[in-house]
Amino acid sequence: MAELDHWHPVLLADELGGKPAPVRVCDRELVVFRASKGEATLGAFADVCPHRGMRLSEGCVEAGRLVCPYHGWSFAPNGEGRSPATPAARPCADAFDVVERFGLIWIKRRGSSATFPTIDVSGYHLVGKTRHRADAPLEVTLDNFIEVEHTPEVHALLGYPRERMPEVICEVTSTESSVRVFNEGPQKALPRPLYTLLQIEPGDIFIDDWTTWFSPVYTVYEQYWLDPATRQQRPNALRIAIFFVPVTAEQTDIFAISYALAPPWERYGLNAFAYLLTRAFVVLELRRDVTLLGKLADKKTELRGRTLSRFDKPLGLARKRIESIYRGRG
Amino acid sequence: MREETEVIVVGAGPSGLSVGACLRSRGISFEILERSAEVGSSWRNHYERLHLHTVQRFSALPGMPWPAGTPTYPSRAQMVSYLDTYAHEFELHPRFGEDVRSARRVDGGFVLRTEANEYLTRGLVVATGYNRVPHVPTWPGEASFGGPIVHSSRYKNGDPWRGKRVLVVGAGNSGAEIALDLWEHGAKPALSVRGPVHVVPRDLTGVPSQISSLFLFSRLPPKIADAISLFALDRVLGDLTPYGLTRPKLGPISQVILEKRIPLIDVGTLELVKQGQIDVVKDVRSFGPGEVHFADGTTRPFDAVVLATGYRTGISEYFVDAEGWLDERGYPRYFGEPVPGAPGLFFIGFRNPLTGALHDIAIEAERVAEHLAGEKR
Repeated sequence: MAELDHWHPVLLADELGGKPAPVRVCDRELVVFRASKGEATLGAFADVCPHRGMRLSEGCVEAGRLVCPYHGWSFAPNGEGRSPATPAARPCADAFDVVERFGLIWIKRRGSSATFPTIDVSGYHLVGKTRHRADAPLEVTLDNFIEVEHTPEVHALLGYPRERMPEVICEVTSTESSVRVFNEGPQKALPRPLYTLLQIEPGDIFIDDWTTWFSPVYTVYEQYWLDPATRQQRPNALRIAIFFVPVTAEQTDIFAISYALAPPWERYGLNAFAYLLTRAFVVLELRRDVTLLGKLADKKTELRGRTLSRFDKPLGLARKRIESIYRGRG
Repeated sequence: MREETEVIVVGAGPSGLSVGACLRSRGISFEILERSAEVGSSWRNHYERLHLHTVQRFSALPGMPWPAGTPTYPSRAQMVSYLDTYAHEFELHPRFGEDVRSARRVDGGFVLRTEANEYLTRGLVVATGYNRVPHVPTWPGEASFGGPIVHSSRYKNGDPWRGKRVLVVGAGNSGAEIALDLWEHGAKPALSVRGPVHVVPRDLTGVPSQISSLFLFSRLPPKIADAISLFALDRVLGDLTPYGLTRPKLGPISQVILEKRIPLIDVGTLELVKQGQIDVVKDVRSFGPGEVHFADGTTRPFDAVVLATGYRTGISEYFVDAEGWLDERGYPRYFGEPVPGAPGLFFIGFRNPLTGALHDIAIEAERVAEHLAGEKR
């Protein structure tokens, strides 16, 4: 399978209103639209009219069809086209499969039978969704998300304190289709009220256990805390799915969907408040990652010749699987 | 070999184990007979992506809450491990491989036969569950179809069906979730829905439907509960008739109470139906080569069929003269209370009320154990 054969998130669902939206994914320009009422509710085409090459995203939706602003040719979500001036013509837009799930709009090449990414969040509660754009290639962006060595420097709350990084355990395991990284170490010191909100205590062990998959490229993080004395799990945990979508060879979109274990209706609304803060923190931490990635001097994806640390083992494992599974080479 | 016991519990699923735990804490001796080799065999064999549709806090068996870190809706795997732990915790050691072939009432008790043994018991708890026997209907022309036709009990995940056009028959919870699973695995599923059905999202505006049922709907007159829930469903789901899903005349709450039919608990299928990703089709009439004919006269090509047509209790198949205690669909009429005219007999775990089957089992198990303890005294 090639890149576009996999399901890719391209927009947050609420970013797509009544107007068609242009999106760029894997260097392809597409248009996504809601066909209001009718058979399917969403359509996605190559953002170019098969007639004279107009951007369809400049058009509008009428009666469930996307209308080209140039000559009024219109297209149903399945790509079936009509030319008002030549009724006998049977034009066809280059249609993609498109679906709305988990509050995101997803596309893939029509006819590919890729598996929809598994995000097992049954019983978890949605905290929030966010999208960010990193000025770095897919591999380099992913690198930032599959090692914890950067967390003391880059992150405000997430991760481990710098002076205790040497004691952080980092175990890497992999299968043909996934790379799992398990990190265990002391939680960074936090402002006091946050302990109450997150239902943890100072000195707790923080576990950051994630698995990266490659159809499409995404990582699901399991983050929870243990009582250091008993190793009992604290009541709350986060499960965050982050999707890495190449926009161009130099840019990568990051879609994050965050879930929490502790139900929002518990603790008399305190959890609902904790959700608000968690959502804000996820956005804050992602912004820091993205800002940092933009400042890299060398964005080449090649790892050979670099001096790597004990935390960097997943980088090579991920590259191999991006090549074989995501890009379908070799 | 003939053995005499105080109480026999048939089945080592959630119901049987619960009764076992409650009997143990009352010091009553008992044996659990289980036809498979493990506890919770139904749960082990269900399709992989299944989760409880009820909240773990209100789905614990007597005496053991779910462990810390369990999500609101535990997964099938978590349920299996919970049952294993439960059996271990209460030192329940079912006799595995003991398939009760026949049971009948005799003077002062019941006689049960398995392949190797015979048991004479004063108390009998039937906890064989509503998933004992797959219900497999047949249609004309099946032999000519050519593709696989399998019951949902043999469905694990959608992987073998990638790229295939698969018809899922039956719009119960399994059917709807299997259609979703097939779609996620790159198959092209259609869902055959026979009659009108209520669809209720597992979470209604962020609140689990079980919680609304426990604290609101089960405490209101059914008519009022119906009106409130339909009002909420209209707002959240909108009109589903254009997608082929019609609503029964009876409201969702009344339907559970009067017809013992639970609504379809939606875990994501509806979103795909609305987007035209999963087609809803009519009742199956017959099969042809590579195609299925439907009640509305249409014919569609399919590569395979999954029958999510449910299960039967199968009680009357091994219990001699049980008909009087069962309703027309084979479900016991009595729950957690003595069966009239058959002292010592109890049925548990054949109900699926609004408030959740496991929640109900936990209450029934205590009652059954209480009755058995009372009879002993």
